Amino acid sequence: MKRFRVLDIVLGILGLLTLLWIWHLVTMLELIPRVFLPSPAATIAALEWGLVNGDLLPQTLATINRMIQGWLLASLVAIAVGSLIGVSAIARAYIQPTLEFLRPLPASAIIPVAISIFGLNSSMVLGVVVFGAVWPTLLGTIHGFAHVEPRLVEVSRLLQMSRWEFIYKIGLPNAVPDILAGMRLSLTVALILAVVGELLTAQEGLGTAVLHAARSYRAADLYAGILLLGLIGLVSNYGLAIADKRILAWKN
Amino acid sequence: MAQNAAIELKDVSLSFGSNEILTGIDMSVEPGEFVCVIGASGSGKTTLLRMIAGLLPPTTGAVLLHGKAVRSPTRRVAVVFQDYGRALLPWRRAYANVSLPLEASGMPANQRPARIRQLLAKVGLANHEDKFPGQLSGGMQQRLQIARSLAQEPDTLLMDEPFGALDAMTRQTLQDEVLRLVAERKTTVFFVTHDIEEALYLGDRVVALDSNPGRVAYDIKVPLPRPRDQLTTREHPEFLRLRREMFEIMNKIHA
Ligand SMILES: Nc1ncnc2c1ncn2[C@@H]1O[C@H](COP(=O)(O)OP(=O)(O)OP(=O)(O)O)[C@@H](O)[C@H]1O
Ligand SMILES: [Mg+2]
Repeated sequence: MKRFRVLDIVLGILGLLTLLWIWHLVTMLELIPRVFLPSPAATIAALEWGLVNGDLLPQTLATINRMIQGWLLASLVAIAVGSLIGVSAIARAYIQPTLEFLRPLPASAIIPVAISIFGLNSSMVLGVVVFGAVWPTLLGTIHGFAHVEPRLVEVSRLLQMSRWEFIYKIGLPNAVPDILAGMRLSLTVALILAVVGELLTAQEGLGTAVLHAARSYRAADLYAGILLLGLIGLVSNYGLAIADKRILAWKN
Repeated sequence: MAQNAAIELKDVSLSFGSNEILTGIDMSVEPGEFVCVIGASGSGKTTLLRMIAGLLPPTTGAVLLHGKAVRSPTRRVAVVFQDYGRALLPWRRAYANVSLPLEASGMPANQRPARIRQLLAKVGLANHEDKFPGQLSGGMQQRLQIARSLAQEPDTLLMDEPFGALDAMTRQTLQDEVLRLVAERKTTVFFVTHDIEEALYLGDRVVALDSNPGRVAYDIKVPLPRPRDQLTTREHPEFLRLRREMFEIMNKIHA
């Protein structure tokens, strides 16, 4: 509740403006050569031009699309598999160490594996995004199932609920806070991996756009792309925070 | 052939590992009877209730409901827990909490709303159906749990210190509500409490447990007229006599 008070929002915007101002000062005093760091005004002009006249809009949409697809797929897989593992204490004990082994593997480490399986194409990117984004939600789901109030397990037994009924009436709702927390983490991971994936496979997207801008010393375009990536992260995170608050109304 | 007892315990004992909690429990509860169980903390009251509910198998002996051995829980038996805060589904509104047993028993969806509203009205929560348990007071949450247990239309109701965490006023109101509700359907009640006066006020019978290991110390009939009344029943000479007797017994047990 308190997280979204007006004051917090104002402070947050002030923080962003401060960053912008420091950036402005640094470029105005030419502490860093303009070729490497363009002014905020130049960057925003490049952003505007790119969105209106250039390819920035389709490139942004391509990256968002890749990120969302991978994230949704990862979340679905994580919730389904996590429920099946989570509902059984035996399955949890059996599989948890394996998950703890796989989880800390950097998703970039499996990129070579993904390339050898899928080749250098969009399936590879999707595969890597899903692999990287699946863990937080998977572990969240399992954690949520493992921590169902024992009383509620008794209630389900007293009402002779089937295992399936237990999953979707008690286990899953109980895991929702952990699932949402996992999905928020994994969205960031999905964005990073979508960009890395496009760089490797040279597909249309913000990552590729940024790389091309850097190679041809178009600093303003480079920073325009980075600004957009930051915005995607910011907006998606706020969107999920608001969804969180609505879905978890019962917690307040 | 005589009618089977609603609840029958035959030489029941229960151990957790080498720790004997209950021993040699013989007890029988007639259909429609209201039996209160009292005993010190740790004497095994909750454990006994969990065995009757089918949540816990006895180590030796047999637990029978209407003549049939209990193997697992059945919806004919409802349980009201002391810790209402944990026993309700926090993500379901009051309405949906009462709906749970109706869903479990397969009542068609179009018949549920009327039944749910009727049950909520019975426990005085008609105006709170859209609230989450976290938005209700302790007394209201316990009313909600009672409504949920009644949704099962149980023939046996097991209550584990249901009013232990409530203030005296709420407690008395809920005692009378429970008496009224179970009288309507002639429900058999197994009611655990710490409180001698509560046991006498509610019960047709009071069973006292001795501790370490838990066993039946005393089984006493309560021949007080019904319907009971918070003022006249508690001032009834028989009530006062029984209360004195029970206090003396409990003191002897714990000496
Ligand atoms: N699952 C368990 N494993 C081991 N010991 C247990 C378990 N459950 C209960 N006990 C022990 O059994 C004894 C009786 O517990 P129980 O909860 O039945 O007592 P009680 O009479 O209900 O007490 P209270 O009035 O405090 O609720 C206690 O000593 C308790 O520690
Ligand atoms: Mg107890």
